[in-house]
Amino acid sequence: MTTAISLQGVTKQYRKYADSAGSGALGRFRTRTSTSTLTALRDVDLTISRGESVGVIGRNGAGKSTLLQLLCGVTAPTTGVVEVRGRVAPLISVGVGFHPEMTGRENIHVNGTILGLTRREVEAKLDAIVAFAELESFIDTPVKFYSSGMFVRLGFAVAVEARPEVLLVDEVLAVGDFAFQLRCFERMNEIRRAGTTIVVVSHNMNAIRGFCERSIVLERGRVVHDGTSFDGIAKYFDLASRGQSDAVEDEDEAVEVESLTLHDETGRAVSHVQYGDSVAFRLTVRARRDIDRPFQWLGIDSGTGVAVYSDARFDVELPPLRRGERASFEARLVVRLPTGDYTAGSSLHELLESPRALLLASAPRLSFYVTGRDTVHGATDLGADFGVRIEEPVR
Amino acid sequence: MPTEAAPGDVAVGFRLTGPGTPVRLLLSELWASRRLIAVLARKDFLVRYRRTRLGLVWVVAVPLVQAAVLAVVFSSVVPRGSTGLGSYTAFVLAGMVPWAYFASALPAASTAVTDSANLAQRIYFPRLVLPLVAVVTACYPLVATLVIFLLAVLALGLGLHPELLWVVPGGLLVVGLVTGLGLFLSAAQVYVRDLRFAVTAALTVLFYLTPVIYPIQRAPERAQDLIRVLPGAGPVELFHRSVGAADPLMWRSVLAGLVWTVVFAVAGLVLHCRRDRVLADLL
Repeated sequence: MTTAISLQGVTKQYRKYADSAGSGALGRFRTRTSTSTLTALRDVDLTISRGESVGVIGRNGAGKSTLLQLLCGVTAPTTGVVEVRGRVAPLISVGVGFHPEMTGRENIHVNGTILGLTRREVEAKLDAIVAFAELESFIDTPVKFYSSGMFVRLGFAVAVEARPEVLLVDEVLAVGDFAFQLRCFERMNEIRRAGTTIVVVSHNMNAIRGFCERSIVLERGRVVHDGTSFDGIAKYFDLASRGQSDAVEDEDEAVEVESLTLHDETGRAVSHVQYGDSVAFRLTVRARRDIDRPFQWLGIDSGTGVAVYSDARFDVELPPLRRGERASFEARLVVRLPTGDYTAGSSLHELLESPRALLLASAPRLSFYVTGRDTVHGATDLGADFGVRIEEPVR
Repeated sequence: MPTEAAPGDVAVGFRLTGPGTPVRLLLSELWASRRLIAVLARKDFLVRYRRTRLGLVWVVAVPLVQAAVLAVVFSSVVPRGSTGLGSYTAFVLAGMVPWAYFASALPAASTAVTDSANLAQRIYFPRLVLPLVAVVTACYPLVATLVIFLLAVLALGLGLHPELLWVVPGGLLVVGLVTGLGLFLSAAQVYVRDLRFAVTAALTVLFYLTPVIYPIQRAPERAQDLIRVLPGAGPVELFHRSVGAADPLMWRSVLAGLVWTVVFAVAGLVLHCRRDRVLADLL
C-alpha cells in the first residue's frame, strides 16, 4: 500500500490576538502583550494509504477543520511534517470560487482551473460534470439562480470529476437531497476504488459509518482513536456525553463510578427490553467526599447516533451523599421506543447555585436492544391512537 | 480489472514542515499557476460588467469621460502656451494613463490576499497568485485607456509619430511597479491591516506630488530631485515623453522606478516565501 497522506508529530498553534474590533492605536498597543497561543492540534501522527476512506470525527473545536486545512495545504504545521502525495481537491463548502453572476459553465471552467485542471481537461470533463450534477438545462444560467441543492451538486461534480488523488469532504453532502447523496457516495466509492484517497469530516455518524471503515476521533487537538468507525463513533459519543467542560473531567474524583446497568421491573440486569417495559438505568457510585445536592443525567441515543432523549432532573431534590457512601441512582422509565439498538449514557452531577452544576463523573455508555411494536418507525414511539369519524355520512 | 485510469500525475503533492516555501519551489508553483492567474483575472474583469446594460462599453466610457473632463478643466485653468510643452491637454492625458492604472491596480493588489480569504483558506495555490491576478485584471482597462489616449492624440492633431512608442516602456514600467509593490504589500497587509488605508492615503498625496498633471519644471527646484524618485514618476515621465514633453532628467525617474520595482519585488518574494503557507491563518 502506498502512503497518500502522512502526518508526523504535527502540532498546530495559532496566535490569538486580544485586540478587538475598533480598538484605537492606544488600545492596540496596550493589549499587545496579551496575545496567547491556541493549540489546535497536538502531536498528531497519522498515515493514510492510497484508496482509503477515513472519517474524522470530534466535537466542535476538537481540531477537525485545522486538520483539513493542513491536508489541503492552506496552512503549515507549527512543528512536525505533513506530507500529501498527489493533487488535493477540497470539497469544503463546495462552490468556493463560484461567482454568482457567472453561468454554471463559466464557473466550471474557473473552478476546474483552481483545482488544477488544464483547459483541455475541463473541456473533456464538462459533459460528465453537467450530467452528474443533472444541470443540463441550467448550465448556461447564472448560478445565483440555482437552488442550494443545484449549487452543491455542481460543486461536488466538479471536485469529483477533477479526479484528485486526495478528496477532502467536509459536511457538505448534507445539503443535497437523499437520492443525490446516495449517488455522491456511489461515485466516491468508484473513485476510491480507482485509487483516490478520501477524508470525510462529518457530524453525520451515518455517513461516516456507511462510507468509512476507518475513523479517527479528535479531542482537544489529540487523536484519541484511530481504528474502526464503529469504535470511533462509540468513542465520540462517550466524549460527547461527558459535556465539554475540561476542568472537571473526572479529575475532581468526587465520586467513583462503579457501573451503569439496565434493570427490568424485577431488578434483574438486562440488555434486551420490550416496548412497554418499565426499566431503570442504574448508576452506581461511591462518594469520595460529601455531595450535598447530587443529581443524575441520563441520555439515550439511537444506534445511528441520533439523540433520542436526555434529561437531568436537578429540580427534584435527592438526599445528600456522605463521604464513603456507596449509592445507586436510578432513572426509571417506561420504554416507548421503536425496534433498534440504543446506547445510554449517564453521569452524576452536583447542583451548585441553580442552574450551575458540576459534572462529577460519567459512566461508560451502555448498549441495549429494544423490541418495539412492528408498525412503528422513527426515532421514538409516541403511541398514537388511530380512529375515524364520519363527518358527512351518506345515507 | 476494470478500473478507471489512474488519476493525474502522482508527482504532485507537498511536504510541509513550516511556514515557508523554498523560493525555487514557489516560483515553479507560480509558473504552474500561470493559467490560473489568467483565468481568474479574466473572470474578475468580466464579472464587473455583468448585469450592466452597456457591458464592456463602460471599460471605454469611464476613462473617456475622465479624459474629457481633464482635458477641458486643465486646458482652461492653465493659460495656453504657458508651459512651452506643446498641447497641455495631451500632456495631462498622457500622465493619466499610467497613473490611472497605478491608482486602481495598487490598492487592489495590496489587498488581494485579505480580500480572497474565502478562497485562500480553503484551497492552496501560491498566495503570490492573488496580487498578480489584480495586476493582470487592471491591464484590461489599461489597454482601453491606452487606445483612448492614442485616439485623443490623433484628435488633438498631434499625429502619429515614433515618439509615441515611449508608451510601451512606460506601460511595462507601471505594470512592473505595481507588481513589485503589490507582491510586498499583499503579504504585509495580512499582518498590518492599516496598509489598506495607508495605501489609499498615500496615493492621494502622490497624485499631487508626482508630476502627473503638471510639468516637473513647475515644482520648486530644490524638490525636483526628490520628486523624480517617487515611485510613479518613471512611468509618468515616459508617457509624457511620448507626447514630446520630456523632463531632461527623465532617466533618473525611470531608474528610480526600476529600483522601486526590484526592491519591493525581492522583498515581496522573500516575504511570500517565508509566510506562504501561513498567510491563510490570519485571514
